[in-house]
Amino acid sequence: MSAPRIVIATLAMSVATIAMGAGSHQGGHGHGVSGGKPGEASEATRTININMHDNYYEPESIDVKAGETVRLVVSNKGSLVHEFNIGTPDMHEARQAEMTMLVQHGVIQGGTLNRGMMEMGNGHSMKQDDPNSMLLEPGGSREVVWKFTGSGDIEFACNVPGHYQAGMYGDVNFN
Amino acid sequence: MKTAFLAGALSLLLPVIGLAGEYNLTVDRVEIDTGDFVKTGIGYNGKSPGPVLRFKEGEKVSINVTNNLEEMTSIHWHGLILPFEQDGVPGISFPGIKPGQTFTYNFPITQSGTYWFHSHSGFQEPDGAYGAIVIEPEGREPFRYDREYVVQLTDKHPHSGDRIMRNLKMMPDYYNREQQTVGEFFSDVSAQGFMNTVKDRLAWGGMRMMKADVEDLQGFTGLINGKGPDQNWTGLFQPGERIRLRFINSSAMTYFDVRIPGLDMTVVQADGNNVQPVSVDEFRIGVAETYDVIVRPRDEKAYTIFAESMGRSGYARATLAPRDGMEAPVPELSKPARLTMADMGGMHGMDHSGMEGMESMDHSTMGEMDHSEMKGMDHAGMQDMDRSGMKGMDHSAMGHGSEMSAGGASDPFYAEGSGLVPTAANGGKFLSYADLKAQKPLYDEREATREIELRLTGNMERYTWSINGVKYEDADPIRLQYGERVRFKFVNETMMTHPMHLHGMWSMLDVGAGQFNPVKHTISVQPGTTVYMETEVDEPGQWAFHCHLSYHAAAGMFRKVIVEGGPESAQAAEADTEKAGGEA
Repeated sequence: MSAPRIVIATLAMSVATIAMGAGSHQGGHGHGVSGGKPGEASEATRTININMHDNYYEPESIDVKAGETVRLVVSNKGSLVHEFNIGTPDMHEARQAEMTMLVQHGVIQGGTLNRGMMEMGNGHSMKQDDPNSMLLEPGGSREVVWKFTGSGDIEFACNVPGHYQAGMYGDVNFN
Repeated sequence: MKTAFLAGALSLLLPVIGLAGEYNLTVDRVEIDTGDFVKTGIGYNGKSPGPVLRFKEGEKVSINVTNNLEEMTSIHWHGLILPFEQDGVPGISFPGIKPGQTFTYNFPITQSGTYWFHSHSGFQEPDGAYGAIVIEPEGREPFRYDREYVVQLTDKHPHSGDRIMRNLKMMPDYYNREQQTVGEFFSDVSAQGFMNTVKDRLAWGGMRMMKADVEDLQGFTGLINGKGPDQNWTGLFQPGERIRLRFINSSAMTYFDVRIPGLDMTVVQADGNNVQPVSVDEFRIGVAETYDVIVRPRDEKAYTIFAESMGRSGYARATLAPRDGMEAPVPELSKPARLTMADMGGMHGMDHSGMEGMESMDHSTMGEMDHSEMKGMDHAGMQDMDRSGMKGMDHSAMGHGSEMSAGGASDPFYAEGSGLVPTAANGGKFLSYADLKAQKPLYDEREATREIELRLTGNMERYTWSINGVKYEDADPIRLQYGERVRFKFVNETMMTHPMHLHGMWSMLDVGAGQFNPVKHTISVQPGTTVYMETEVDEPGQWAFHCHLSYHAAAGMFRKVIVEGGPESAQAAEADTEKAGGEA
């Protein structure tokens, strides 16, 4: 939407490998399970639209094949900030702790995402640059080309505090 | 509301397309067995609590209520937005339901969520006349769950409501087992002659009660869905399922602190209205409030739902389990809360609120208190009070005595340094009103058109409870204008917590979230605090507005609210009701 958002999105892509390494380390517990990784646009076989509402996804599950690359178009149709994050339940749980901090620091306030506050000075940054996560304000829409690398217990989820617990997650079913 | 009223009227004349449901309730004498004692009480359809009424948003309900008692009765649909003649308050909405009579309530269901119903006649509600209401929304809910249970709490007392009220009037500390030195204290003080001069001023603040007067009714058995702790109401689940628990506090007098050891609870609704989900370890449910939480037990084991009273004089207990008969450990009651100087609403009031009769309570008087009164208080077993706190009183630093805080916990909805601030038993997150944000604003934001101050007042010594120092019988109604937005300022000048309930219109609790302030029907006002709520005056007619502690409401902490103006049809209806009232 805005310039900073594009920058962040670009940044997100450029640090993909590092971040994913961290992600699978954090959540995968060495089982080789992760949400997948950013894919090549040219390999995308189809587009899946996912709408985020307050506080649920539509649809609440998607079917993919192991190794399939799809274009995910995610739109926030709600009035609150929401996240779209692909990972295991453990990864989501770890992410929820981070998100709680974002709320406590005022980065997320109901329907507003204060991106300026992500830079906190003192070398501390709360930039949200995981490739498997997008944070969207109401009305926001973004797409990501994603390669679902394996099978396993993969969910897409919103880790804004309370949202996952209220049921804002969906299953990735591998066929 | 005009359209709703017309629709309501039309539905009587012709079958309207859409949902219409007919429900039957009988009001009966019933036997209530708590596991600790058996008593006769009042129930619905032969049981207390009565049935869970399940409605659907958009439905037009017609509820036939048959009074099988030998006295008048009524049913109030707590939290429902409806034409005022259907609200069920004798003397305000309608004349009441005579013995042997069947009265049919008719109203459209315009909302969804968890609510409850209860008698608004005498002490029938504490005697058992209550049940739950669950309204399914038209669209999908902003959360999901695999199964749901109503968890309805009450504080069942072996004595009848009438007897309790008589005893409280005779001796306000009759049911306060923790507090044993009242007589001593009074004899000491009156011997000095000091008490006579400041009796009224001190009595309203209940200074003599200060240590343990968290609850004025002890000796109850906490029930969940009609079951005592030993009878152990049990809700079944499959591990991994998400369960929605609809907590309703139908107590006469008791606030409960609720937890389920081993489970996070995600609060998704308060008083029937969706809130932005917040995960907590524990929450306090005021009398007449409801909270909906979602839990997700993943293990194949039992979990205890533990609800201990705010004053720790009793508890309710139930179980979530994969199979019937499974149990989890039941925690011990935590240490009782002790009121501190900060909870003495009077300490604030004396300096800042200019209460009637309190003007003379200046610093010199306080000095006097230090010399005689404080000694008296020592005799009354005030060992918890430290000296620094006492000194604080001299310097009009009252209410800022953070050195008196219990455990350093703080919550903006409790007086600073209050002994009542709840903390989670596991050291985790305890829900505060400040955490409640509406999921979706119900009204456009606008500035209130005026402010009405309501001082919550009382005289503990005579067990009178009032608003602005005037009890219901002596008070003029509060007149509101249809279409205005009123900001109510509650100033609690007593030492008790008061759950204030305005009928018929929503109460938007000011938590500083603007448009996202939570939408409630009952608002707890803690001792020594000032709390604001705003109401869009969008329902014509006349309504009750009162403290929902049964014996406080009966003692006079109650007002009639008249909404002037509004749709003509409703005004006509108002005249009709008055006529009907005259015939009763």
